Amino acid sequence: MKKYICPICGYVYDEEKEGIKFDDLPDDWKCPLCGAPKNLFKAEAIEVVVSEEDDEEELREMNYGEISALCSSLARGCEKQYLGEESKLFTKLANYYKSKSEIKESSSFEELVSKINNDLETNYQKARSVASEKEDRGALRVITWGEKVTMILKSLLEQYKNDKDFIKNTKVYVCDICGFIYVGDEKPEICPVCKVPSFKLLEVERGA
Amino acid sequence: MSEVRAVRNLRICSKDCLCLYVCPTGATDTETGQIDFSKCIGCGVCSKACPSGAISMVPYQYPKQQTKDDLVIAKLNKLIQSKVEQEQMAEYIYKNSNDSIEKQLAKAIIRANRLMTEDLYREAGFMLPQSKNTKDFLKNLLQQTKDETLKKDIEKLIDLLDFNE
Repeated sequence: MKKYICPICGYVYDEEKEGIKFDDLPDDWKCPLCGAPKNLFKAEAIEVVVSEEDDEEELREMNYGEISALCSSLARGCEKQYLGEESKLFTKLANYYKSKSEIKESSSFEELVSKINNDLETNYQKARSVASEKEDRGALRVITWGEKVTMILKSLLEQYKNDKDFIKNTKVYVCDICGFIYVGDEKPEICPVCKVPSFKLLEVERGA
Repeated sequence: MSEVRAVRNLRICSKDCLCLYVCPTGATDTETGQIDFSKCIGCGVCSKACPSGAISMVPYQYPKQQTKDDLVIAKLNKLIQSKVEQEQMAEYIYKNSNDSIEKQLAKAIIRANRLMTEDLYREAGFMLPQSKNTKDFLKNLLQQTKDETLKKDIEKLIDLLDFNE
């Protein structure tokens, strides 16, 4: 008998209590708390060992897309401090640099998934091991949230690939704090990743 | 000038209006619902009287932000680079798709990646808008741009922000 854990919200599926083996659950079974798909669940107590080869990080100029994101982040920071004028100016800068930033030509969801895989298999692991070593709990926090959001993103793209209509008759929400994407009729009471109350999960409307 | 000022969270405010009775300067009574900073003397009486806990006292000057290890920043920057690229890929899909569901999903992905990037920047040395890192970043932008309106906006920002290091 094993326990399986939802990597998004921490829900534990205990085979002993449930009386049904995890493997015997239907493929479309979902986390009862946050709706994460079955294939994301992991058996309890798996240690991830990361090899410690260090790639040197090149110093480079920020590109326009990065400048835009930093400005929108600072706009939020000012907003939280009730600095309205500063927030507006940073938003203006963010929009300006976004309009100048290049769009990746001929992208597809497949290419997106391969980028996501690289984040999950390499970038998050390396960042986590350095942040742990330096005892930077703030960095560990952003890594933990981001990794979860990225896992959900990947599983959504996989579902979309198998059945393009899976969101046709339901709704899409994005958590305005951590970026968690939720597909479903009713949003959860709190964000399963960052635990913010549901009013911060904003609906992404379907255009005409 | 006082060190703090009162701010009201309108989402929490349950309109018990005790702040209106206790404020000695009338700063809490405004048509926008936000406290008039020019009148607020930072005494904190409104915050203590508020039954819904909607008023908090916010400092004018913030302490220096925590310093970050260079290696941590380098690893977070790697993630930032990747998330920005993913936002741009989703942007391409959004702009070139005719399918409303595909567009909706792409929009959600654009938003999610932007939020993750913003959060990564906060942990990579840009937590506080008043930090030296932000100041250096803005000065750098100012040097690089040739756009006159943009220059004015950046100068305004540098002028407004109360840098603390």
